[in-house]
Amino acid sequence: MRSALLVARREYRQIANTRGFWVILLLVPLVIAGTQIAGRFLRPPPSDAYAIIDGTGQLAAPIEHRLKLQDQRRTLSDLAGYAQRWSDGSALPDQPWARGQRYFSDGDVETFIDAGGKDAAIAALKGHLKPDAPKFDAGLPFYVRADLPAISADQTPEQLDAALKPLMEKDIVTPSGKLPLTLVVVIPRDFGLIGPPVRMWTNGRPNQSLIETVRGELTRALKDKAIAQSGLPADVFKRINAVNAPVALTVPPAGAGRSGVLVRSTLPLALVYLLLVTVMVTGGLMLQGVIEERSNKLLESLLSTMHARDLMYGKLLGLGAIGFTIILVWVGFALTAALSVQGVIADFIRPSLAALDQPWIVAAMIFYFVAGYLIISMLYLAIGALSNSLQDAQAYLMPVIFIIMLPTMFMMFSIVQNPDGLLPHVMSWIPLYTPFAMLGRMGSGVPLLEVLGTGVMLAAFLALELFLLGRLFQSSLLQTGQPPALMGLIKRMSGKTKEA
Amino acid sequence: MGVLELDHVVKRFGEFTAVNDLSFSVPEGAIFGFLGGNGAGKTTSLRMVLDILRPTSGRIEVLGRAPGRENSNHLGFLPEERGLYARMTVLETIVYFAQLKGMTAHDGAAAARKLIDRFGLGEWTKSRIQKLSKGMQQKVQVAAAMVNAPRLLILDEPFSGLDPVNQSTLEEVVLDHAKTGATVVFSTHVMQHAERLSTRLVLLKRGVKVFEGTQEEARNALPNRLSLSSQSDPAGLPGVQASTRTGGDNGWDNWDVQLAPGASSSDLLQAATSRNFALRSFETRKPSLHDVFLHLVGDETTNRNGESK
Repeated sequence: MRSALLVARREYRQIANTRGFWVILLLVPLVIAGTQIAGRFLRPPPSDAYAIIDGTGQLAAPIEHRLKLQDQRRTLSDLAGYAQRWSDGSALPDQPWARGQRYFSDGDVETFIDAGGKDAAIAALKGHLKPDAPKFDAGLPFYVRADLPAISADQTPEQLDAALKPLMEKDIVTPSGKLPLTLVVVIPRDFGLIGPPVRMWTNGRPNQSLIETVRGELTRALKDKAIAQSGLPADVFKRINAVNAPVALTVPPAGAGRSGVLVRSTLPLALVYLLLVTVMVTGGLMLQGVIEERSNKLLESLLSTMHARDLMYGKLLGLGAIGFTIILVWVGFALTAALSVQGVIADFIRPSLAALDQPWIVAAMIFYFVAGYLIISMLYLAIGALSNSLQDAQAYLMPVIFIIMLPTMFMMFSIVQNPDGLLPHVMSWIPLYTPFAMLGRMGSGVPLLEVLGTGVMLAAFLALELFLLGRLFQSSLLQTGQPPALMGLIKRMSGKTKEA
Repeated sequence: MGVLELDHVVKRFGEFTAVNDLSFSVPEGAIFGFLGGNGAGKTTSLRMVLDILRPTSGRIEVLGRAPGRENSNHLGFLPEERGLYARMTVLETIVYFAQLKGMTAHDGAAAARKLIDRFGLGEWTKSRIQKLSKGMQQKVQVAAAMVNAPRLLILDEPFSGLDPVNQSTLEEVVLDHAKTGATVVFSTHVMQHAERLSTRLVLLKRGVKVFEGTQEEARNALPNRLSLSSQSDPAGLPGVQASTRTGGDNGWDNWDVQLAPGASSSDLLQAATSRNFALRSFETRKPSLHDVFLHLVGDETTNRNGESK
């Protein structure tokens, strides 16, 4: 045992001293950090400035009100999500934002604004939040109105073109700071059904939603005018205009529904992926190590001081420790990001932790992970013992990788589509794939009996594999010449080698 | 009771018999030469002693016990095919093997530093193995074999690959180690090393022991030869088995004389004197270990430096 531990420590140190190890170790943290940072930089500009030059003096205000409603609807929706995630479960006041995320009508938004908007809601939430709840960030408004005092609706089109061109090419000063001027709307003094059109200037990036909102309000104004001219009583028109198609929108409670299942499967599927990646990486390192010992003629020196099985266990232990170091750093970083940072990745990981709601699930996942690691690592170790060079190893390795990777990838895809599909169920009972299939299915709920059954089967398979491949490893270490074909492998595993 | 005993040991690989009925004993404190040509079974025998291979039949005792890793704390082994971890430093390598042989890291490091100095590798202590020359790497491996001050040091072809200076250094190290009371077993096919080092030796030919004993006994196993200069053929003298003329001048001929088994050169000299057989020179030539090797191994050829091919 002491020899195995010494081998394990040496293997660990040797790998940990390589540049490749550190690149792999820092890969996930860098990707997470990069995604967080990129998320900030790639986010579209938070606000757009617009200007309305209203020759009528009556249309700018309703357009501005409509845009304000849009901004407040977004704030209300974000607040509802915030309250849903961070409330401590105590009864919330009867407000639109207290009923979870859903579709918010104009009426809801008006109520929200009338009740004091965001500031009043945050004040009302005080005392109902979890201690670690972050501060609510409403973000900047979508649209900010800018004043252009030098521009008048009475200017000729040519004068407007000349005056607006330089303004559209750079940011302008607004009450919310310097912002790109996205849209300038010039409403002529005699705007109507017949007459000159409303002119709009964009800076080359037309904001469709903004244009559509402005256009909608202008159309509504024209319709109002037309209705008034038709002689229809104003109150009748108001009633007709207020008619909306009734819609009942159902949103499942948090953590339920298809999205909930997918979210719960995120962590298990991520573990399957991590298992695949780490076992392939550390398996490759293990393979190189054994081939180095064989080609450097080191084995005889080592075997004079320890049994071949101690060498094998030491390698499994050392490389296993490397694998777990990688996993610990990756998972640790991901959890830290999830629990302490706001952002794309954090929002993705945090809800997926719900899959770990029972201790036996955590224990089962650890078991499947370790078993999967050992099963694949043993294959790599045996291939290393059979090969004189990396080229030799490739001949064995390619089919092994193919056999492991392809079905596992199909299975992961199948779990995303339907966690209760046939493929994941069947693969759960094929020992080579059991760890991957069971890990992947953990998020969608697996009966305890199935976990126990596959666990026993997997333990038996692992013991058999350690015995047979251990024999192959020991009998192949000092063998020279061409690596054996299938019959040769079987002979070595059965102990019927040339040796008398 | 020897430090190492082999009793009718046989090792077969399928139909091939690598070692056949091998028995010998290595007394404590001996420097024991394990000689034979390529494929004679030396490495296979040593692997059985180290429990890397198991004998097909027969019995082996190492330090009074069956072969096994329990002995490794008292054994040192330098294999014929050598190699080290390229990315470990000199000190780390030797300490690693010290720990594998049951030493603490502290004791291992202290012993390693002494050996590093002894082999003149002081300035390379913290260098990676891959930066060392092949000769230096071999010295590191010898140091790794000796770091635990083994009671039994087994060296398989220790001199191959070393330049003459380092061969001489290694010979000194072996002799010094034996002076501490340890036993050294080494295999070689370079007879000069065996001649300078071994107090006892075994000679193998195709897995079979053909000789065991001291160097003197080995030489005595060969007929004595002598060179003489006379005016006539010494073939008629008693004890002469064969004579070959090798040259001559002014009426005197030079002869290479092979004596019959059991005949001595002094008896021949006495017979020549009593018969008035005129001699101008008379020189006894003791057979070298190289001669013994050639004689006993026979059809295995050697090169002019005394290395068998």
